[in-house]
Formats: sequence, C-alpha cells, structure tokens
Amino acid sequence: MMPSAHYQRDRCVTGITGLDEILRGGIPYGSTVLVAGTCGSGKTTLCMEFLTNGARNGEACAHFSATEPSVKLLENVRQFDFFDMRMVDQGLINVFDMDVLFSWLGMTKSTFELSDIDAMVKSITDIVNTIGVTRLVIDSVTTLCYKIPSEQLIRDFLFKLGKALATLGCTALLVSEITSSGAKAYWSSFGVEEAILDGIIVLGDVERMGHLLRFVQVVKMRGTSHARAKYALELTPKGVMLTPMLKWGAVND
Amino acid sequence: MIELDFGIAQQLAEEASPSSAIQVRVGTSNSELVIASMLQPLITEFGMRGVYICASRSATEVIQTMERVGIDTTGIQFIDSVSSGFIGGTEVPYPNIRFVDSPIMLESIMLQTLYHLGEKSDTGNFVILDSVNALSIYNEERMLAEYLHTFINTFRAREVLTGIINVPDQTPPGVLANLDLYCTDLIDRGQVVIH
Repeated sequence: MMPSAHYQRDRCVTGITGLDEILRGGIPYGSTVLVAGTCGSGKTTLCMEFLTNGARNGEACAHFSATEPSVKLLENVRQFDFFDMRMVDQGLINVFDMDVLFSWLGMTKSTFELSDIDAMVKSITDIVNTIGVTRLVIDSVTTLCYKIPSEQLIRDFLFKLGKALATLGCTALLVSEITSSGAKAYWSSFGVEEAILDGIIVLGDVERMGHLLRFVQVVKMRGTSHARAKYALELTPKGVMLTPMLKWGAVND
Repeated sequence: MIELDFGIAQQLAEEASPSSAIQVRVGTSNSELVIASMLQPLITEFGMRGVYICASRSATEVIQTMERVGIDTTGIQFIDSVSSGFIGGTEVPYPNIRFVDSPIMLESIMLQTLYHLGEKSDTGNFVILDSVNALSIYNEERMLAEYLHTFINTFRAREVLTGIINVPDQTPPGVLANLDLYCTDLIDRGQVVIH
C-alpha cells in the first residue's frame, strides 16, 4: 500500500545544510536515530550542530558524553562559528559526563545488569523531563553498550530509551562507532542497534587515490521518505556542508 | 607587462548574464593574458566578487600575476588544490587562500566554493575554474564530465557566473563535448595546434 500523500509527520528540522533536504524536511519528531560512523567522519560535529541549531531556536538540548570529558568536547567545538558558548551558559545546551552520571547512580561495576539499565534510562529521561529537552545526543551509545553483556540487554536498553524519549517528544541522535562502512554495510557495533532504532545515518570515508573523502548516507528513517544516496561531507567553520557525491566517484578505489 | 585583451571585456559586457557559464578556451602560452583580461572587467567594471579555483597553478602564483597587471584580488577567495601537493606549499602570506588536499577531491572543491560564496553577497558573484586540463590529470574522463555537469548547473541555478578555463586541443574529447553542450557562452582564445 502506498503511504497517504496527505499525512506528514511533524519534523525536527536539523538545520544542517543539505540534511533536511535529504530527509524531506527533517527528522520526524520523537525519533531515535543512530548516527553511525568511522573515526574522524564528522559524527560529533554533526550532532553538536544539530543541538546548536535547536538551541538557537530556544529549544532545550542535552548532550551525554561517554567518550570524552565534556570540557574537552566544548573546547573542540568552539572552533566552529555555529557554536556559541553562551548557549551552554544560558542552559540551552546541557552537557553531561556519563561517568559523573554513573557515579551519581552508584553504577561502578564494569558490566551493567537489567536494573542498572533501567536506572540509566530513568536518569536520562528524568533529565529530559525536568529540563524539557527536545533534542538529545548520546556520544557514544557504543561506549555504553560495551558495558552491557548481552545483545538482548542492549536491545532492551535501546528499546526502553527510544520509547521513553518518543513519549517525551524528544528527538535523539545516538552516536555509534563503527570500524568499517560501505561494502560490508555494518551500521552498528553490536548489530542490534540498527534494527531497534527509527533511523540510521551513516558517516564514513570514500578512499579516492589515497585521499579520504567524507560522506553521509541516510540508510533508514521511519516516518518519512528520504534520499538514500551518498553525499560528500565537508566540515567548514559554519559546520557540516553536503553535496551529492559524484556517481563515478562514490566507491572506494 | 601583460597587455589586456579588451575584446574579452567587450564580449562580457555584450553577452554575459549573472548566470552565464562561459567556456574560456585558452592556448598554452596565453592563459595568463586571457584570465587577467576576464577578471579585470568582472572586478572593476561589473563590481563582482568571487571564487577562483586553482588546479593548474598555485593561488600565490595567480595572485602575484594579477597584482603585476594591477588587478585587485582581495575580493576573490582562492581555493588552491595545487599547493598541498608539496611540503611548505600551504605557508602563504595571503589570507584569501584556502587549501584542498588534491584536485581529486572534486566534491570538496565544490563545497568550499559554495561555502565561500555563502560568505559573499547573494548577487554579482563569479567562479573561475582554472583549469579543466589540470583536473583531467587526476580525474577519470567520465567523472570529470559528471563534475562539470553538476558544477555548471549548480552555479547557474544560483545565478553565479562561471568561467571554465580549458586548452581545447588538450582536453579529453568527451569532456570538451560536454562543455560545448552545457556552457552558455564561449570566449575562444585557444590556439589550434596542427600536428
């Protein structure tokens, strides 16, 4: 059956040049989207620009940092013109260190059990609810999932988190670190994230005669039609810029 | 001292529009003259600003050549895909040069160009691509043809005048045929070499 031509879900406009066009207007509100990418592919910058564009419109945003201390994250993102430290000072962008959160929750074990996962989801959703967060980033969900001992528990964690955030009307980007992309089409570290979540945006590199060219590709996005082509990605002082990748140059050498 | 070719200024005044895609055919020995003769009226007579993509020679060399002719290049943003090819090449005294790693990074060149055009006013902009021949050293013919197709249409849609420099008798035939097809205007100062 063809989707109705009349009904369109409200969108969370990312404000990222080119991405909203690819998504035919933005990410459907309340979606939980996997942003999967190799190292240096621009995941963190893309996510920070997503938050900043929300904050610029007065939305409350939250960033949960699991891979680097928040101080370091903010220092790195300050080089971009799109970022304004006053957004942090004014409480529009709220940055949390996951290590600190775990300490508050008394989660000091190397692996998480179901009760720990429930506590983690509850603490994240409590923050979202209290501050009224409409845009959220977890960077990275891979780091958290390494502490979860089984695929079933990872599935539970992501399902509960996605459901709770959707109920609160919060659009979330969960960063996933992958070691390869493209031909083998691995979009997540554990293989379960991609099935549970509403969308997958892949970032990676195409190698062209020894040079690495960044690309982004929307593989899946529930609730909207979207382009599925590869787009070349450039990190400029203004943030992420996209252009369709040349068809004759979209594959590795 | 280069003596400018005022026929080019006259042709631009009579024929060019803000969205013109001009194929600029040059010879192996007159490219500097032709490019200077094109830039001079664009900047001084039409008050335009723009982006100059360097694939043949470094941006520093282009700036110094234009300065010798008396052309003010401060309103031009240079995107240099040559100088990253050698150590020390990117240490330049000009603030209006940005570097792309290689002429193979065609999409990066496009995005850098769009970024710098976005920094300028919405109207009265130009982009000079110097040159198709240099890009053809690094890029396979059909990819280059695809790029030029995208390049011309992107800037025509944004009403940005484009000047695409090429030495016709050294341009891959498929690429040249596509340029003939996509470009709206032709400045022909190419030399015909009879072998």
